[in-house]
Amino acid sequence: MRKAVGIGGLRRKEADRLALSKKGNELAQREIEKLQEHITIMKANLEDFVREHQKEIRNDPMFRGQVQRMCQLIGVDPLVSRKGYMAELLGVGDFYCELGIQIIGICVATRSINGGLIELDDLQQRLIRRRIKGSEPIIEDDIKRAISQLKPLKGGYRIVTFGNRKMVQSISREMNPDNSTVLALAQYTCKFTVEDVRVGFEWDMNRIRSCIDDMLRSGIIWVDDYDAVQPEYWVPAFFSQMSGANLGS
Amino acid sequence: MTTTAASMDTEFQFPEIYNFPPFFTRQPNDSTWKEQRRMWCDLILSYYKYNNLSSMTLAEAVSDPLFNNKQIHRSLRVDTLREVVEELVKQGNACWTGPKNTRDACLIFWRKPEAWASIIHQWASENGMFNMVFTFFELANGDDTVEQEFHGLDPLTLRRALDVLQGQGKAQLFVGTSDEDIGVKFFHSS
Repeated sequence: MRKAVGIGGLRRKEADRLALSKKGNELAQREIEKLQEHITIMKANLEDFVREHQKEIRNDPMFRGQVQRMCQLIGVDPLVSRKGYMAELLGVGDFYCELGIQIIGICVATRSINGGLIELDDLQQRLIRRRIKGSEPIIEDDIKRAISQLKPLKGGYRIVTFGNRKMVQSISREMNPDNSTVLALAQYTCKFTVEDVRVGFEWDMNRIRSCIDDMLRSGIIWVDDYDAVQPEYWVPAFFSQMSGANLGS
Repeated sequence: MTTTAASMDTEFQFPEIYNFPPFFTRQPNDSTWKEQRRMWCDLILSYYKYNNLSSMTLAEAVSDPLFNNKQIHRSLRVDTLREVVEELVKQGNACWTGPKNTRDACLIFWRKPEAWASIIHQWASENGMFNMVFTFFELANGDDTVEQEFHGLDPLTLRRALDVLQGQGKAQLFVGTSDEDIGVKFFHSS
């Protein structure tokens, strides 16, 4: 016999739905609580882990990167504050601070030759040479982090790109767009002439002249007047990397 | 210079900046030029030390390997070199020689006369040579000094060094008939 669906049946269904939904919420709530518990445990484990592997973290840049990413995944940024417990645990606060000081040292020492523009690779090589043998290896990522930590110093330290070349700029003034354009033109040859710029961008002579004068004034380029009619302008920051040269001692 | 292996390159090692073509052009930017000049000064002193050289005639020097990089076909101009030497003179690492105000020739002191003076005086002290008379020739070329760094030192630099000692009361010079005849007597510092 078929049971008719009456008002009572509908009410019962509604009650079931409510009960299920309540149960669902309870379950979800419990899941979240569980998850939070897990995260707390994970954080604690991570702390233990970091404490235990502090030496490896300092010595192995790949491992350091992985730990950093792990920290970020569970919402801990060890670099957010120098007082952060993770920074202290990781010893990374000191590490990047020390690296930042070395970066400043190199940028200042080479500024009179390169006008405050140094290729990232070149900087990395110099950092590696400068550091005591057996101290932590440096990778590009470390340099980027260290430079981002220098921001509050307002020294203008930042990473800029000209074409495919990644450079570290250490002068506070903004690079004029014309200068950047011309530098990108010179990225492979390390040099350019007035004619190269004229042909490349169809600028008038005044614009080219003032762009070159500006870069000469700031020491970003050097002039080579071997050809007195068509002098060449060289970018020491590019040359340094191209020849593996170590301009300046 | 001593080498540890026969295969080792004993040629003077030029710094990398030597292969940077604009290094041979006087830079118009003042602070770049000061750095460039400093690097030229350092290069000259280490090159002169390495090759144990002392005198320089500017017009001839610019075709020497030091100022003429054949690989990149660049050479320093005489007037730029003159500015560099002017700086060395200011630092006490060079002095102009030859007719006054011509600034065409100079003596490079890769070690300052003051430093030579104390080396020579120390030698005299350690070897009990006080109150004895030496000729310049004996000092620079005699058997007693063969082992010394100042053996073979050019007469002008030696003269400068001994003048310093005389000024300090640690030596007395006796003028003879020729430069090589000049005699010198060392004293304990007075």
